[in-house]
Amino acid sequence: MTLRRDAYRTVVVGAGIVGLFTAYHLARSGGGPVLVVDRGFLSSGSSGRNGGGVRQQWETRGTVRLAREAVEAYRRFGREFGFNIWFRQSGYLFLAENERELTRLKSVHELVASEGLPSQVLDADGVARFVEGIAPGAAVGGTYLGTDGTLYPFPAIWGVYEAARSLGVEVALGVEALGVQVRDGRVAGLLTSKGPVATPTVVNAAGGWSGDFSRRAGLEVPNVATRHEILATESMKPFLDPMVVRVSDGLYFSQSMRGEVIGGVALPHRPGTARGQGSSPEFLSTMARALVGLLPRLGAVNVIRAWSGFYDDTPDGFPVIGEDPRLPGFVHGNGFGGHGFMLAPATSRRVAATVLGQATDLDPAQFSPSRFLDPRAPTAAERLQLG
Amino acid sequence: MGEAGRRFSFRGRPRTAQEGETLLSALARDRIPLLHRSIQYHRPQGPLCGVGHCTGCLVRVNGRPNVRACRYEPAEGDIVTTENAWPSTNRDLLSAIGFLAPGGVDSLHGLRRPAFATPLFQRMVRRLAGTGAPPTDEAGRALLAPAVERSVDVVVIGAGASGRAVVAGLVKQGVRPLVLDRRLRPAPLPDSELLHATTAVFLPPPAESGNRPFTLLAFREPAQGVRLRARTVVVATGGYDTSLLFGGNDRPGVLTADGALSSVVPGRRPPFRRAVVVGGGSRAAEVLAACGDAVESVVAPTEIRPEVVRLANDHGVLLYPRSLLLRARGRRHVRAIDIRARGGGAGASLPCDAVILAHRRIPHAQLFFQAGATMEWRPDVAAYGPAVLSNGATSVPGLFAVGSAAGASEVAPPPELVAEAVAHGTRAEPSAHSPPAMDAPTELLGYYRELLRTRRHGGWVACACVDVLVSEVERANRAGYRGIEVIKRYSSLGTGVCQGRYCLPDTLLLLSLLEDRPPYEVGYITQRPPVVPTPLAALASLPPPPREGVVP
Repeated sequence: MTLRRDAYRTVVVGAGIVGLFTAYHLARSGGGPVLVVDRGFLSSGSSGRNGGGVRQQWETRGTVRLAREAVEAYRRFGREFGFNIWFRQSGYLFLAENERELTRLKSVHELVASEGLPSQVLDADGVARFVEGIAPGAAVGGTYLGTDGTLYPFPAIWGVYEAARSLGVEVALGVEALGVQVRDGRVAGLLTSKGPVATPTVVNAAGGWSGDFSRRAGLEVPNVATRHEILATESMKPFLDPMVVRVSDGLYFSQSMRGEVIGGVALPHRPGTARGQGSSPEFLSTMARALVGLLPRLGAVNVIRAWSGFYDDTPDGFPVIGEDPRLPGFVHGNGFGGHGFMLAPATSRRVAATVLGQATDLDPAQFSPSRFLDPRAPTAAERLQLG
Repeated sequence: MGEAGRRFSFRGRPRTAQEGETLLSALARDRIPLLHRSIQYHRPQGPLCGVGHCTGCLVRVNGRPNVRACRYEPAEGDIVTTENAWPSTNRDLLSAIGFLAPGGVDSLHGLRRPAFATPLFQRMVRRLAGTGAPPTDEAGRALLAPAVERSVDVVVIGAGASGRAVVAGLVKQGVRPLVLDRRLRPAPLPDSELLHATTAVFLPPPAESGNRPFTLLAFREPAQGVRLRARTVVVATGGYDTSLLFGGNDRPGVLTADGALSSVVPGRRPPFRRAVVVGGGSRAAEVLAACGDAVESVVAPTEIRPEVVRLANDHGVLLYPRSLLLRARGRRHVRAIDIRARGGGAGASLPCDAVILAHRRIPHAQLFFQAGATMEWRPDVAAYGPAVLSNGATSVPGLFAVGSAAGASEVAPPPELVAEAVAHGTRAEPSAHSPPAMDAPTELLGYYRELLRTRRHGGWVACACVDVLVSEVERANRAGYRGIEVIKRYSSLGTGVCQGRYCLPDTLLLLSLLEDRPPYEVGYITQRPPVVPTPLAALASLPPPPREGVVP
């Protein structure tokens, strides 16, 4: 594939949901010409590897508001982008195994409810009504938000990809971003595997590889890629509506539109992208023990597929959105910690606004890249890094 | 056949299975009843493979969904029912979906409007999706069994002819391997320990250090977890017969040579009387040798080899070389197959009660992919196999390949050499054969080029597990999506129960023509674990591994 031009107004690195949405918003706001480069194929990274969960239950007001905006965008998606993403608002159910966990969930509930969302606190019986066949005593209670839900990630990618392209965005697949050209202390171009392109703005939306790419641009960033595994079972008739998340071990699972149970569980992991996006025997057995322990009937269900993707983790659990103060023209849209798909419609508008030199409503202490440069520790942190 | 048998019920009617007989075989005494309907359009589907990979014989047993009748031996008192059909598989009103949407339901763009109806559409679609009802609690608990955990020197996976030859060679050298075999009742193996009914499902790349760097996950029917640590792994998993694109290719009665041969029981007539065998090579010859009296004709996409001609003459079988297969006729079972001579020749409709696909056999290569072995494109069959040296060594130290898992018989390493290399760590020597040229012609590609030009084929089934039609693959291509990985995600092809085993080989060729580039450039679906559907109970039975080597 050869590039159509040798100069662009903006080059986005990463054709995942974050990068594509950013390019789409840029093109809509007259920020073209825009080029998106990705070294893989469409959906080869985490955007094509996630469990499709979209939730608004978070520990900070800033994130809850972004998530609520994203949910609205996904509700409109079918009309706006012409693809059916099967966004099913059948709730997220957080499970607590003990009173301490329930207390923590209740504080999340209070914040979420104060934002006007219909969050509920459930006791053990309430949980059992949502999760048919749950083992007795498996949960003391939980919280439930019915407007959270799940979607099918692929049509969302196709939809934004086609919309962006119809607005004139060029998407170059199989093209790797190798580094940034700097002139007079600011971005002047991007070095790619197909040669250099001139651009005053580079957006780093490389997901699990965004830390690698920032470092290629000479910027020290705290982003760390961690591999998270996931599996899918054979399809069954519907028996489970909400996405279920357990606080203690990070177990999460839902039953997809097609009837498969899809989910994962937290495992100790080695950081870095070197090991690739494979699977491990430890994950398969740990996940199976967690699922069968919670829902004994699932013992008689077959796993058909397991895979993995990278979370792009930051020390405080918040994404990084905004221009890097050390390198004008280098804009971050990364650090989503496994929740890029959930937040992309809301955050990408703001990344695009930043590129266009507009102010955003984001609290810099929570989201801006400069927060890591401040020697004083950040004040808040998001610990609900689950599902 | 003794009088004593195991009594079970099938759809409420009493049935009997003999000792050692599978459910499929017990149900197929005279003719296989209709067990399954396709997942979306509810077409009648029959057992294609007979060896536990396809969807065609999934039934519900004692409250457990998606049990493969070909991999299950009924127990006294079992209750067997069919799934995903209303009111029954024989008369399924849901097949109306297929008539209402002959071009396929477009779930990517359809059912978006009106917005207020979205939840209703979702409920409806969700109810229609899914094969069986979820299992009962009892079914889940009944499968829990203690796991097998072993640390061994050498594991041999597969006790077919090549696996047995390697085991014999090893025993001669004083090595006692542990042998896994997928068959429910393989012949006993003298001087070696044999875990039967055990399928290897996951072989990740070996650890960088340690005496036993390999961790192999397997499970033993029905759901016993097996975890082995080993120094050396010999893969002798053989190959499998692929499907072929034509109209009605998932109709009951269409089966692969694997399926046909597995249904041939000594002393009993096969469940077909007048079969059409597809293919003109050694596999077709094997089918004729096993059940030639029940075969009426041989139809080959390319030439028919002399050995097949000889066997055909012995059995009075008609030959149709260089023919296009167009369509299997018959609604609930194959009645005839329409063919036409290639190069614009005459057409014919051959009455038959089975179509046996024996035209293309490719290696079972998943374990090699998983372990990170260097793979080699095999242009003759348009598939990948492991790159092997003359002693069976792959690019992964300690991982060996033997038999048709390694390649066609001409290139497969001799079992004695493999045994010697495994026993003594003989240095790998350069392979006796040179690797095939990537761009050598694939004859089947020419076949498909001609077939797709001469026939309306949009309604043909490209992926029988998920019900993806050829027209949907073509639509994805027209929309500008390229490469098998993207087409898979765009169309859902290859994401069902067989994980692409039966749709990938033909779709690669189809895409090669649509994208106008060689099949190996179209890509390959990542071969993800597990190799076959694996019960969660089996994986859950494995105790947590020791924490060593895990960096939090």
